[in-house]
Amino acid sequence: MSQPTANEQEEQSSPTANRKKIGSIIAFAFILALLGLLAWGLRKVQAGPLGTGMAPDFTITGFDGRTVTLSKLRGQVVIVNFWASWCPPCREEAAYLEETWRKYEGEGVVFIGVDWVDTEKEALAYIDEFDITYINGPDIGTRTAQAYNIQGVPETFFVAKNGELRGVHIGALTAPQLDEKIEELLAEQYP
Amino acid sequence: MLADIGLISLTIAFLFSLYATIVSAYGGWRERTVWVESARNASLLVFPLLTIPVLVIVYSLYTFDFSLAYVYDVSSRAMSPFLRVTALWGGQQGSVLFWAWLMAGFVTIVLLRKWDRDRELMPWVTFVAMLTTAFFVGVVLFITNPFMRLWHVPGAPELTQALFQPANAMPYFPEDGNGLNPLLRHFGMIGHPPTTYLGFTGFVIPFAFAIAALITGQSRRDEWILTTRRWTLFAWIFLSIGLVLGGRWAYDVLGWGGFWGWDPVENAMLMPWLTGTAFLHSVMMTEKRGMMKKWNMVLIILTYSLALFGTFITRTGVISSVHAFAKTALGPAFFAFIGITFLGSLTILYLRWDTLKSDHSLESFVSREAAFVLQNMLFLAVTFAVFWGTVFPLISELVTGTKITVGPPYFQRVTGPIFFALVLLMGVAPLFAWRKQAARSPGKAIWIPFAASLGFTAIWGFSHRIHPASIFGLWLVTFTLSAILAEFWKGIQARHATRGENFVTALFNLISRNHRRYGGYIIHLGVVLIAMGVIGDAYFKQETQGTVSQGEMLSVGGYQLEFQKLLGYPGSDGREIVEAVLGLSQNGQPIRVLNPRRDYFVVQEQPVTVPGVYSTPGVDVYVMLVGWDDNGTSATFKIYVNSLINWVWIGGIVMILGTIIATWSNPAHREATYAFKPEIVISHP
Repeated sequence: MSQPTANEQEEQSSPTANRKKIGSIIAFAFILALLGLLAWGLRKVQAGPLGTGMAPDFTITGFDGRTVTLSKLRGQVVIVNFWASWCPPCREEAAYLEETWRKYEGEGVVFIGVDWVDTEKEALAYIDEFDITYINGPDIGTRTAQAYNIQGVPETFFVAKNGELRGVHIGALTAPQLDEKIEELLAEQYP
Repeated sequence: MLADIGLISLTIAFLFSLYATIVSAYGGWRERTVWVESARNASLLVFPLLTIPVLVIVYSLYTFDFSLAYVYDVSSRAMSPFLRVTALWGGQQGSVLFWAWLMAGFVTIVLLRKWDRDRELMPWVTFVAMLTTAFFVGVVLFITNPFMRLWHVPGAPELTQALFQPANAMPYFPEDGNGLNPLLRHFGMIGHPPTTYLGFTGFVIPFAFAIAALITGQSRRDEWILTTRRWTLFAWIFLSIGLVLGGRWAYDVLGWGGFWGWDPVENAMLMPWLTGTAFLHSVMMTEKRGMMKKWNMVLIILTYSLALFGTFITRTGVISSVHAFAKTALGPAFFAFIGITFLGSLTILYLRWDTLKSDHSLESFVSREAAFVLQNMLFLAVTFAVFWGTVFPLISELVTGTKITVGPPYFQRVTGPIFFALVLLMGVAPLFAWRKQAARSPGKAIWIPFAASLGFTAIWGFSHRIHPASIFGLWLVTFTLSAILAEFWKGIQARHATRGENFVTALFNLISRNHRRYGGYIIHLGVVLIAMGVIGDAYFKQETQGTVSQGEMLSVGGYQLEFQKLLGYPGSDGREIVEAVLGLSQNGQPIRVLNPRRDYFVVQEQPVTVPGVYSTPGVDVYVMLVGWDDNGTSATFKIYVNSLINWVWIGGIVMILGTIIATWSNPAHREATYAFKPEIVISHP
């Protein structure tokens, strides 16, 4: 069964030894790089998403050209929803978000849709599909997403009238979670 | 009291597994049988010792012992006894314990069965397997202990979790628990974790044998690799079942009309499955021809490493996912463990690389061997593509400071063509003979399936001229399907002609005489059926969404849905149900009533969408209740018409049947599996 073959003799020669050396250097480098990457990712993820403190300020220019800056919305309850057209759970909550927005529009509530790592064509089709009327704009350079340290989409941040964060919802929102949260934030009174 | 017994038993299990790890390595190194035997005895005790804490947790869940934080978190009085028991794997602490217990169970089976056959390997098999077991038991004991109790410290706003009574604290017995996450109360989610765990932990055995073979230099002989084949097949089929159940759960519960989203968590499970599949094929090369030994070694190590990698990213949330995960303290310990495993196995592989030599080299590029090599390359290519897409967000964020997530389009575009090629190869490869193949003869065997599939595709393509890619996909599926069926037909006909058996008997005998080969073909059939479902999902899905008042209709893909009324009533397991009644008809002909629901779990404050589904072999009409107005006169629905999706589940079942046939132990053949097949030796020049 184990007679020497041409293949076997060939492996004694130096080109094969060199190949083995190069191969193993690549393999070790790859594993070390992967472990380094995971260590870095682990450190970052253990910091967790933001849920309290002042909401980081940002300005979003909507697909329709409107611009909105968070710090200029004091006195109103702000719902910041991170989404993407390729994300199935986002689709799940889209209709509910729009429905809730229409219910509270003009009652001191602002919805801001932040489109995360997406392409404009698909994003516009998504907005069109769900007939979304509140402001939605791309998160250029994922700066806003990084400021809020989001872990994925959908994530929805609740900003109180005084600009403080009042928690974050990870994953799709379903009735009546958003209504309840908005009622709670609208009821807040400041001296 | 019972919890204390569980905790003590867990602690002893940890000490024994540590002892077995150290002593087996020492015994193996010094070649001292006494030490090795002692390590074996200690290892055999770990499983029963871990069974006690598992039983204690199950009993506590069953009897509502809410003083345990874990029981409080995952069960409640409203849950049925069956659900309460499955809550063992419904949360982090319980599931890691369950994981460690399964792993110890596998180690026990190996140590009981294989001792005499692979005597030289056993110290190192014990070492690797017990090191892994010790790690997981250690995690249960020190990081995610399910025996934490709830304590109330006077003046503190929240309850404290601790194993032992903190100063000034009073034991706290809640009236009721939080209950299992409602999304997990589904048969898919009840079966998905155990099968996935069996798959993931099962891969530790082939890995332990591979490392042992490398350490002892026994890898020159091939028996070990054949011993691990059945273990790999065992782990692989459970992983397959886990994948199918997970997909079914996503389809039924997550409510987006699909079953696979290329989420990092799904990819984590797919990657070891892909390399495991590659190994199950290339191991035949070692078995029949003594080839690809290095490759097999790499595949075993890779499969296990990917299983660990997958567990790591799933449990620590390092890679962002659309799924939500609980943050855990598992990260650093788990990181150290995978670091040691990856670097350790690579070092041993490097040191022993030259002991792995092929007995033969490739003789023809039109041979079964060449087909296997190509198949393996394709599998690794898919694995790498999936891996790259999974870690890419991390890499991009590290390099550019911007997180770029590659969505499903990347995965579909990159892996789609490779999967196409694999399905094609599945139809063609069995037609090639081992070693050499005259260029013309596979042509003859392919001719009939090729013509049949072309004819079918032409008719089908003529009537559905929408998606050119789908026509190619359906050609591929029908071609491969008919090529596999032709293999069965050839065998049946041969038996019918030579032995005069009738066709049913011939089929039965064909499979039972060569269960590995025909079991394999049945698995292939299952894969083709799944491919058909995937093509249907990719190209023929239709969807619509709309708000309608009572009596109004929504229509999509030739189906009409009339919204009749909205019902509200309390359900079991502590939920409030809102249910819509919709009349489904096709081209004006009423078919049946569909009842999509929204179940609101009061205690957990969590709603769950339950779709109303009309399911046929060709098409699923899948309706979700998205919202409704307060008086119930209008409601919003999302409707999907999913073509061929049921073939994914049917294919999954066929795959499982095929695996059972392929692994079916034939007593007469059992020993032969481990001996070199004489006919191969004779055929060697």
